[in-house]
Amino acid sequence: MRLFYLIKKEFIEIFRQKELLPLIFIAPIIQIIMLGYVVKTDIKNIPVEIINLTSNKIAARIINRINSTPLFRVKAISDQNKDTVELLKRGQVKAVIIFKDPPRQNPLNYPEIQISLDGIDSNTSLIAAGYFNGIIKKFLLDNLKKAGMHQPAMSKTLIRFNPTLESINYMGPGIVALLLTIISLFFTSISIVREKEQQTMDTLLISRLTPIEIYLGKAIPTSIIGLINMSLGIAAVMIWFRVPVRGNLLYLLLASIIFLSALLAYALLISVITSTQQQALFFAWFTMLTFMLLSGLFTPIENIPPGLRILADINPIRYLIKIIREIFLKGNGIEYFYKELLYLLAIASVTVTVSVINFKRLISK
Amino acid sequence: MQRLKAVIIKEFFHILRDPASLTIVFLMPVLMVSIYGYSISFDLKSIDAGIIDLSGGDLAGQLIKKFANNQYFRIRSLGLSQSNPIETAERLLKSGELKEVIIIPPDFSRKILHHPPAEIGIVIDGSDSNVANLIHQYNEMVIMNFVSEFQNLKDILTINTSILFNPEVKSTFFFIPGIIAIILLMISALLTSLSISRERESGSIDLIFISPLKSHEIIIGKTIPYIFVALLDGILIFLFARFWFHIPFKGNLLVLLIFSLLYILSGLSLGILISSIAPSQKTAMLATLLITLLPSILLSGFIFSLDSMAPVLRSISYLIPATYFLKIIRGVAVKGAELKYFLVDGLIMIVFSALLITLSSIRFSHSREKSK
Amino acid sequence: MPALIEIKDLTKKFGHFTAVNAINFSIRQGEILGFLGPNGAGKTTTIKMINGLLKISSGQVLIKGLDARKNRREIKKITGYMSQKFSLYPLLTSLENIEFFGGISGLSRHNIQKKKEEIQPLIPRPILTQKIVDIPPGMKQKIALFVCLMTDPEIILLDEPTSGVDPEVRRNFWMEIYQLKKSGKTILVSTHNLDEVEYADRIIIIHRGNIILEGEPSELQARQGKDSIEALFKDAIINYDNQLSRTGGAECSD
Repeated sequence: MRLFYLIKKEFIEIFRQKELLPLIFIAPIIQIIMLGYVVKTDIKNIPVEIINLTSNKIAARIINRINSTPLFRVKAISDQNKDTVELLKRGQVKAVIIFKDPPRQNPLNYPEIQISLDGIDSNTSLIAAGYFNGIIKKFLLDNLKKAGMHQPAMSKTLIRFNPTLESINYMGPGIVALLLTIISLFFTSISIVREKEQQTMDTLLISRLTPIEIYLGKAIPTSIIGLINMSLGIAAVMIWFRVPVRGNLLYLLLASIIFLSALLAYALLISVITSTQQQALFFAWFTMLTFMLLSGLFTPIENIPPGLRILADINPIRYLIKIIREIFLKGNGIEYFYKELLYLLAIASVTVTVSVINFKRLISK
Repeated sequence: MQRLKAVIIKEFFHILRDPASLTIVFLMPVLMVSIYGYSISFDLKSIDAGIIDLSGGDLAGQLIKKFANNQYFRIRSLGLSQSNPIETAERLLKSGELKEVIIIPPDFSRKILHHPPAEIGIVIDGSDSNVANLIHQYNEMVIMNFVSEFQNLKDILTINTSILFNPEVKSTFFFIPGIIAIILLMISALLTSLSISRERESGSIDLIFISPLKSHEIIIGKTIPYIFVALLDGILIFLFARFWFHIPFKGNLLVLLIFSLLYILSGLSLGILISSIAPSQKTAMLATLLITLLPSILLSGFIFSLDSMAPVLRSISYLIPATYFLKIIRGVAVKGAELKYFLVDGLIMIVFSALLITLSSIRFSHSREKSK
Repeated sequence: MPALIEIKDLTKKFGHFTAVNAINFSIRQGEILGFLGPNGAGKTTTIKMINGLLKISSGQVLIKGLDARKNRREIKKITGYMSQKFSLYPLLTSLENIEFFGGISGLSRHNIQKKKEEIQPLIPRPILTQKIVDIPPGMKQKIALFVCLMTDPEIILLDEPTSGVDPEVRRNFWMEIYQLKKSGKTILVSTHNLDEVEYADRIIIIHRGNIILEGEPSELQARQGKDSIEALFKDAIINYDNQLSRTGGAECSD
């Protein structure tokens, strides 16, 4: 009952701050659409420089193919030899492809090809190498057939769950999860700090409210706002980017509620263990950045070394992203991610317990 | 000049006397570099792959051996016969046990020898498109290798692939410079973002307002001490990256230092601008976080390649100092590129800082006028 | 009259800075105790230690013989507190604030309704439905006091309740405090407005965390031979500071 008054108050406050409303309901959608385009960018337009040192006709045909694919953007074609290392150092191109005269014993008169890649961006360079090999292979096969020869074996690859390898399908919902995280943490810390400034936090603390009630009084309104946001965001990626949903969205709702309870427990813990606003915000920043970067959204979780695995294990975003993928792309039911839900519940309950035990620290500042 | 000195000295004391912020400024970045340096990586070390061998022949054995010997794959045999291999594959991918399943058809050997090409069926979990793409590339490498032993394709076509600057293709070389850029920007922006709002909250700003100091003197005086702090921070992280993570350093140290200085300056001036606008410390910090966090990660080339981005997004990325610094640090430190390639980038950072400092001074003298 | 609140060697340290330095005093049942001192003297810190908002560094607060540190639940029930900034929610209206604070103090729906009716004759109608941020300070003060009294506490702690309101409003406010005293409440009021001292039964002057004078206003005046409280106050502070510089006690704060 006391909780009801806390929640009601929180909502009145939110809706009376007119300047906040567009921030809550419109800004996230704009951000999702913008960031969606960022993550949608599958690697393409890789800038290359071509050095053609041969008058070989096949070389010219291969260059034509490279020119016509969107995977590469040919920045320059020259017939003078240049220092490859120097070209890559300048950073204008990521790869240099050199065509030379065919080796003497070559039956089909194919040119010798040398490709040098800037290895700093390891991902792009591997993929560029792959693209290039693909182009050449295709070319080769087309010609082998004409010459009546056959490649002895080839792969026939079937990619499941995301056949066109659209990165938006897997990053889009993930970005929604990140925004949900930022907005909820931002909201909770803003509202706690505001109560401190108005000195109403004092009144709450000396009132008969229990720590759990104060936590829920903050967590429930934020979660409701967060869930509305999440729905808008998911709708945006579904409608705008046509991300398919194969599973049941009700599971996503359940997972988001549990996720928010864990996340907001962290927010509470941070405000309990730090003694100044500055420390609290630095801490929140550190936590947020770590959780975001180690969430498995950008890079595979398996790459985190065993000693640091604990950071991934206590990271609520990681579980939400896993669940989102199960629901969105694989269309799996709860039997495939009940473990993640249990982990989230465990995180929430341990964190809330620790915060409540240390709750007096909010008072003794 | 004398007056400016007074402001600088006062700011220095502010930093040195607060143990909490000293810890944050010097310990946190090192902690972050080490955590992220170890954990953020694209490299796929072990792709869990299952093999269903329906052929059982020697040739299939050779192919499997090629996969098993490749360091990127962790091969699990799923048996010689499966009634419905595709269904099995799908089930295993769905549960997340395996990332791909390789199916060798019953007529594999016969087809290779008599009716090429033989088809190798491969099912990949595409739910992480990036990973799937890499798995596909690795598969092709192994299969090409297998194929070229049969028919000396090398006779027909020679492709020499060389990967420069990072022969082992480790993503550490890619990410650590990025992490350095992000941390430096955040630390420097956060440091100064508080400097004015703190005085505003404690009321000491009124004393500065009535002092004979000119507005730009105050702003510059407040920035200079943090240049040293942030530069020290930067050097600390560089050393850590160099000797702990063995990031190669091939370039000119002085060039790198100069550009770090310019970069730090743009971060600090961003902070000071926010500080001169924000009414409270809290607003200042949150604004700094929101302005620097996601854009610096997503739009600077830290993770996503700028070349592939749409023109609109690319133009936004030009507004982010991290974009320039990333280019420079990857170029100068790891590739050993010379100064002349980055003059424009350096110039842009200078203009950026000058613009922000001027804006802050104007903004500051406005609030000074108002308080009179 | 028995002492309702007893303060023994109460000390608060923030790092190296001592905000309140082993002070002793008591508040008797049914009296108005005026707590005087310049800004930063330690008034708010002392009050916050009494109501449990600040951790006590050393010393003791006894309320009705109960140790304040160990019996927070019981003490919460019998004390009311009004902070310097009135601690109302600026975005809520007066009535909404009353409903909220009533609600979290565990008043029944019926009682909350009754409180909402009780406030009607005290405050002009349009103000009741305005946001707190938009109403004049005098009205805020009235509502804050009303909120503080909603649970009918025996002990009322008022931290600078009259700062930022005009003299007319202050006089009216003190009339209300008198009414409360008459109904048997015990009241601690801190202030830096010296002209309010005459309203208190007893006053304590605190400076740099130490009590430098204590007694009934008239008695203190007679003892020190001063005709105005202001002169008395200034003298006490100057004397203390002189003594401090003579003994070389260099406990300095910002």
